[in-house]
Amino acid sequence: MSVTLPVPAQAVVELRRARRQQRVATIDWVDALYKAYLAALIGGFAVLGLSSAVGDGQVGATTLATVRADGPAWIGVAAAVVVAVGLRSGSRGGPLAVEGPDVRHVLMAPVDRGAALRGPALRQLRFAVFGGAVTGAVAGQFAQRRLPGATLAWLGTGALTGVVIATLGLGAALVASGFRLPRPVASLIGILLVGWAVGDGASDRLPASPSSALGHLALWPLRFSAVGLAAVAAAVVLVAAGLWWIAGLRLEDAERRTGLIGQIRFAATLQDLRTVLVLRRQLAADLPRPRPWVRGRRGPARVPSWRRGWRGVMRWPAGRLVRLVLLGAVAGAALRGAWTGTTPLVAAAGVAMWIAALDAVEPLGQEVDHPGRLETYPRDVGEILSRLLGPAVVVMLAVGAVAAGTAIALAPDRTWAVVAAITGLGLALAAAAGAAVSVVSGAPDPTGTGQVAVLTPEIAGTATVLRTAGPPMLAVLGTVPLLVARALDRNGDPALRGALIGLVIAGLTAATGFGWVRVRDDVRRWFREVSEQATGGAARSGTARRGGAASDEEDFDDDVDDEEPAR
Amino acid sequence: MSPHDEPPALLTEGLTKTYGDLVALQPLDLSVAAGDRVALIGHNGSGKSTLLRMVAGLLEPTDGYAEVHGWPAGSLEARATVSYLSDEPVLYDDLSVREHVEYVSRLFGGDGFDSYAERVADALGLLPRIDDLPVRFSRGLRQKTALVLGLARPFSLLVVDEPFVGLDAPGRVALLDLLDEAHDEGAAVVVATHDPEFVERVDRCAALRDGELVYEGTATLAEALKLVT
Repeated sequence: MSVTLPVPAQAVVELRRARRQQRVATIDWVDALYKAYLAALIGGFAVLGLSSAVGDGQVGATTLATVRADGPAWIGVAAAVVVAVGLRSGSRGGPLAVEGPDVRHVLMAPVDRGAALRGPALRQLRFAVFGGAVTGAVAGQFAQRRLPGATLAWLGTGALTGVVIATLGLGAALVASGFRLPRPVASLIGILLVGWAVGDGASDRLPASPSSALGHLALWPLRFSAVGLAAVAAAVVLVAAGLWWIAGLRLEDAERRTGLIGQIRFAATLQDLRTVLVLRRQLAADLPRPRPWVRGRRGPARVPSWRRGWRGVMRWPAGRLVRLVLLGAVAGAALRGAWTGTTPLVAAAGVAMWIAALDAVEPLGQEVDHPGRLETYPRDVGEILSRLLGPAVVVMLAVGAVAAGTAIALAPDRTWAVVAAITGLGLALAAAAGAAVSVVSGAPDPTGTGQVAVLTPEIAGTATVLRTAGPPMLAVLGTVPLLVARALDRNGDPALRGALIGLVIAGLTAATGFGWVRVRDDVRRWFREVSEQATGGAARSGTARRGGAASDEEDFDDDVDDEEPAR
Repeated sequence: MSPHDEPPALLTEGLTKTYGDLVALQPLDLSVAAGDRVALIGHNGSGKSTLLRMVAGLLEPTDGYAEVHGWPAGSLEARATVSYLSDEPVLYDDLSVREHVEYVSRLFGGDGFDSYAERVADALGLLPRIDDLPVRFSRGLRQKTALVLGLARPFSLLVVDEPFVGLDAPGRVALLDLLDEAHDEGAAVVVATHDPEFVERVDRCAALRDGELVYEGTATLAEALKLVT
């Protein structure tokens, strides 16, 4: 037999171009430009507003010397983490998310897979470069408020650093994917890189970590170092190598990713955070262990929901535990930065703890994922849900301890140690409450019925914003002990008193969140009844959270075209 | 090269797939000669789809190998000769049926939507909808679109997973005829199905149970199903 081989890659390029032109032709450019204008306007104001909040004055000479000496190593930790994440993603088939039909039709056709994949990879690179440049420039804008150096130099260097760090991550992922790096090997390399970078920052005994080159680059406005160029070179080499060996991508990984990423995008458009989280775990193969770390007691439980929660926690994979510790450490470092004057870092601390808490409230999430099952229990839904919060709070207290420990380790000082410990406690409680509210709130009703149907557009819009931004804001409120203590400390008053006052505020915030989890179902039921009375029963229930996407199929022919197997 | 020297259309030796502790396919030796027609039988989870996906190059074996006309499964040459039709149609949202056929045909070195593609679409009753977007189709129409794509391109090994599910009665008859036609033109055809009409036409059945090949021969569907239960 004979075959026609190979089909020139140019054919793929031409076909894709034709599809792109077809897509572009359907874009409403006025609408798209208006959206871009709004995004730039809101983003610009947000950056300017936040950066003016940083304006606590330039750092002192001692801090500046510390930044010059230790800054490259600690910034290098961020680069090492990004490369480690890239390697892990690549070992699971990332970073590309090829369209499902492209996997089936293009990658299974007799065409050069490298040529077929380079186009999507370059598009992803362009996006990463843009995102990195913008994020880096924003970080540069923040840095110039507190560090000496020209504004333009900080903006430019920040943008360059962002581009390099994004490119390093993408390049590492492409190389790992192209070489089919086994997952344990990718994890080991990542751990070594991060460990070396942390060791470099914490001790002078270790040789400079390779990732510290990025730190030298980021601090160019303070002191130019040619070592920074090594980071640029490494990024270029990694991306070039990744593009060169891109054809090594495993099709089964590509197909698995394409399905999950499609679902994640859909869930993200619905602002369904819980579904995004669950799918992301599947993407990262972050699945429960078949055997628990510690096998608990058997037999009847006095508090079943407490035991059910711990059984789930005991099956967490190692990666999730490491993530919680890292997020706690990030929160701790951010708290220390906020204490020394960079106030917006409280947002970073709050968000890091909220993300950790989204993992911690997993037992609660498992129940919320199955509303039908939940409603069959002969107990009040709110009571069941609130009892499942117990293990989550305990886990978050441990993460809060990690945050406080990190913060104290960065600057061992008695006053600060007490403030950090109290803030860690408040932050842990508030973050757990925020995450619990996120999980029980679920996605907005995609059908546009239910509560939203009886609200005016203005109130509905505000409700959507509150639903999205409210839970992380709850977590950020957990840093109030630090802010009050800092304010009193600067006035010469006892910081401990401020921290305790703040703890009461944070505690009340957390109690409000937990209380909402307890009564939410009752409130919704009451609201439904009221709205049904108001609309004569027209408003439909909005209790089903994830009943599946609305079907795309609209063409059910009258002839028996769809003979499904008997159910 | 004499016909006797020609490698089989499909050859697997020790082909294995595992996912951690789970064995999806135990070491499998199977040979399908050019022009053979084989029905793959087995219950859910027996390993049929895993086998077909490995032959198509979508999955990689944990051990052993699969060859298509002597080329490793998934290689450029094998991809040019295997046409794989999965049980779940995967189609572009922004291309019509005609544009799909043109696109896929070009990817396989063809000329686009030719007369044969038109005939296949007509046989499956899809011609009136040829310029519509499959994203708006029902499951059955999407399945028919995938069938047109799989059949209207050059192949010498046709690998099909549960093709009759979702098809109406005329579509089922048309597909049987199209599979006969592919066989008559010399292609090897391997179909995972429990459809008795197709199983009656095949040269042999291969029955899988729990990832293991438990029977290979000319049994009827009823006999083969007994073996896998």
